[in-house]
Amino acid sequence: MAASSLISELRSTLAEETARIAQEFASTGDGRRAVAQRTRVIEDILQRLWREFISADTGGPQNFALIATGGFGRGWLFPYSDIDLLFLHADRGGEEAHQASIRQFSQELWDLKLKLSPASRTLAECERFDANNTEFTISLLDCRYLAGDHALFARFHGKLIPKLVARESKALLQGLAEVTRERHAKSGDTVFHLEPNLKETPGGLRDYNVACWLAQISVMSKLGDWPDASSLRAPVRKQLDAALEFLMAARCFLHLRYGRDDNSLSWEAQDEAAARKTGAGQAADLTAADWMRIYFGHARAVQRTVTQLLEEIPEAWSALRRQFQGWRSRPSSPDFSVVDGMIFLQQSSSLQDPEMLLRLFHFMAEHGLKLSATTEHRIEQALPGLAVTPPRGAELWLYLQETLLQPHAAEALRAMHSLRLLTLLLPELKPIDSLVVRDYYHRFTVDEHSILAIESLHRLKQSQSEWDQRYAELLGELEDPQLLYLALLLHDTGKGVAGSNHVKSSLEIAGNCLDRLDVDAEERAMVLFLIGSHLEMSAQLRRDIFNPETVAAFAEKMGTPERLKMLCLLTYADIKAVNPEALTPWKAENVWQLYISSANYLSRSADQRVHGDGGSDKLARLRSLAPVTGGKFKDFVEGFPQRYLRVHSAEEVMRHMAMAEEFGHDKVQVDLKRGRHWYELTLVTKDRPSLFATLTGVLAAWGMNIVKAHAFSNQAGTVVDTLYFTDRFRTLELNLSEWQRFKQSVIDVLAGEADLDGMLRGRQRSEKAASIKVVVETRIDFDDQSSSTSTLLQVVAQDRPRLLHRISSCLSQQECNIEIALIDTEGQMAIDVFYLTSRGRKLTAELQKKVERALREELKGLEGR
Amino acid sequence: MGRAVRTSAKREYTSKNIMTKVEAVIQNSKLEAVKSALQEIGVEGMTVIEVRGHGRQKGHTEVYRGREYSVDLIPKTKLEVVLADGMVEKAVQAIITAARTGKIGDGKIFLTRVDEAIRIRNEERGEGAL
Repeated sequence: MAASSLISELRSTLAEETARIAQEFASTGDGRRAVAQRTRVIEDILQRLWREFISADTGGPQNFALIATGGFGRGWLFPYSDIDLLFLHADRGGEEAHQASIRQFSQELWDLKLKLSPASRTLAECERFDANNTEFTISLLDCRYLAGDHALFARFHGKLIPKLVARESKALLQGLAEVTRERHAKSGDTVFHLEPNLKETPGGLRDYNVACWLAQISVMSKLGDWPDASSLRAPVRKQLDAALEFLMAARCFLHLRYGRDDNSLSWEAQDEAAARKTGAGQAADLTAADWMRIYFGHARAVQRTVTQLLEEIPEAWSALRRQFQGWRSRPSSPDFSVVDGMIFLQQSSSLQDPEMLLRLFHFMAEHGLKLSATTEHRIEQALPGLAVTPPRGAELWLYLQETLLQPHAAEALRAMHSLRLLTLLLPELKPIDSLVVRDYYHRFTVDEHSILAIESLHRLKQSQSEWDQRYAELLGELEDPQLLYLALLLHDTGKGVAGSNHVKSSLEIAGNCLDRLDVDAEERAMVLFLIGSHLEMSAQLRRDIFNPETVAAFAEKMGTPERLKMLCLLTYADIKAVNPEALTPWKAENVWQLYISSANYLSRSADQRVHGDGGSDKLARLRSLAPVTGGKFKDFVEGFPQRYLRVHSAEEVMRHMAMAEEFGHDKVQVDLKRGRHWYELTLVTKDRPSLFATLTGVLAAWGMNIVKAHAFSNQAGTVVDTLYFTDRFRTLELNLSEWQRFKQSVIDVLAGEADLDGMLRGRQRSEKAASIKVVVETRIDFDDQSSSTSTLLQVVAQDRPRLLHRISSCLSQQECNIEIALIDTEGQMAIDVFYLTSRGRKLTAELQKKVERALREELKGLEGR
Repeated sequence: MGRAVRTSAKREYTSKNIMTKVEAVIQNSKLEAVKSALQEIGVEGMTVIEVRGHGRQKGHTEVYRGREYSVDLIPKTKLEVVLADGMVEKAVQAIITAARTGKIGDGKIFLTRVDEAIRIRNEERGEGAL
């Protein structure tokens, strides 16, 4: 009858209009228009069905209205989105009366294959707020009249909703904020997914809506009424308009492509979107990576807005933040102030000074606070000026290092990156900005991956897992962790360059960066080593890591324990940042196992000797630095352990050689300098019994604490001992004249012209016992296998003043000669490795036992002193 | 007589052909070699799992900085393939040849019967699904 012909008419209209909209979208790419058009088409259908089944007059019946809510209410109906409808009744009676006709109405819509999301409520029910269903109340914020009793709608819209929102604003904001944070956390709190979901991933359409709702609710709660367009923050709207255009176009594209409400930007979808230039206007041809960059740019803007609002609206604060609301303690700085956990700049034009900007991010990295919206705005304004003369050189490197070392470095880096400051300071990062590299393993873009790797290391300190604690200890032992962080930041820059070997490209790019930062030669070598070898450890995992040859080869490539530690941590961080599950216990265990085998190998293989004619890079470099000395060079270097060349730079070796030249004047050559972390004493002299014990004795007598040491000797019996120490009583720091006196003291004691025992007794009397925080058990291990000529002795003990002197004296007394010493201290644990001989040979089993007994006696005696 | 006979529920998944699952636990370093060897004889699908375990190969204790780290569950790689009966012996030989070093720790191979194989994409069953 009339009904069925209406239905078939509507069906064909719907089909025609849908096809027309799709076609128009295909040619114009205008998502906004497509969405608005579909809204009108559906509205039309609803109104006609209303007239057919509910009331011939669209303005009736009384006390019953049809209202569009949610996306439909906003006028956004994507090709396959649900249609959110509210059947509003004045009272229960009305609801029951219309039940049958509503059912019919809905049935027809289902028959038209339109997906409804209907709700039926009375006014009273709407007024009641259900904290478990904040979504429903929020969907009312976008309500719009479709058909039915105008007066009823006026009451609903004009009075009920504003009052409800004003009354429940706190709960609404809290609920919305919580749900949003949960959703963000599920996505790792980042927009930079390789295959994002346009609706749910941070920076997507859901976030855009949340931003609008947050703003709307807080304004409504103050006004007690609907806001007009001008009271909603204009800057917010403008910034996000472009993003909205793009996202709408992209979502329409996806719906039409999949033929359903699927919002995932798979790789294939990205390819197609790029080919069609969806949302990108008249741009030149785009690759999928280019198109994704545009997407990420918009997503970032949306995410920043949402995050800002979540930070600025007190009711939207997380529970944790609310706890600290009343906290008085605020980090103090003359340049910045902290209000409600956000950073504000003190003076109005201070960003003219680029240093201020660097200090700002250092501050951020130190305290883990966020920037306020006004601060971000001012930074954006300052950027063009900064781009003309960007900071560079040693000054920039200094700030960068300090920032990288702070516990919240990753957050600061992300903020800098999203404000486009990071790529301004380090243009080497531009090629990997928002770069999508397709592989099934990685979850995030290359830049996010690098920052996440840095974050993984900082997070180690708080982790409870057994594995993480081991790696955390290792991190604490590093001398120059800032180099590791810099290497992580730059290690994948090569992925932005076409070609298959990204390691090589990363090295080139990093080289340029290090030049620009005026990084010194040693630091530069370390960073390039790390970047060049960053896949090395993972590669080894595919071999048999329990095979001594594999371990030896890998350890040789590393060369020194410091480099090995850095690479181990870099590997940990790199894998951890691939995706949340990548670092399985299986992997963590394998990496650790390889690390300790290699570390042990390095201690046990220190005595492989150098041959003056040898062809290593280091030797070649040395020869080129000393062309004149010729034969003398060969004689000097011959017989030193390989480790000697690895631990000392070419310049240092040259200096040692020069010192050895002076033996004619002075048999004992001493050099003292202030190093990066410690003081450095270098002794070059001819070997003799008890040399090492005596030397360490002098330092002990002066109250110096030896942290690290190397003792090596060459074929000709020349000894080069390097001691790295801290000046416990600040003797050297406070008195320049003491430097000379100290050096002379070493020379005098070694020449037999000063009484070492007397000096030591004097020191002992004036000292108090050191406090022991971590008890370290004494361990003494002998190893006869690793070296062909010496017996290895490893002593692990509680670090105490004069420890090294006592150990080496004891060894001397037992007539052991120290061929090589590798001394290290970690926290309160001293780790001392000695290569010993007695009468030119390895230690007999009997002598080993004697030595062990004597050492244990000696170490017991030092307890409590 | 009078004895209640329980008929087992008719398994719906019994295929006509016999298929066997070959599970091999091998050294990590041998994975590439075994993969190539299998591909060479025409095996096209496999599943690889990272596992830890031990047989008679005892664990490993390493002393580092005065502390002992013992690994009693050694990291290994497990390979699984399901094959038509005719291929099984060839596959077993290929694995053995590629994975063997002759020392303890080489690993083991287990064979089990598979009742059915189904391809998700088009619901093909039996050997055709392999």
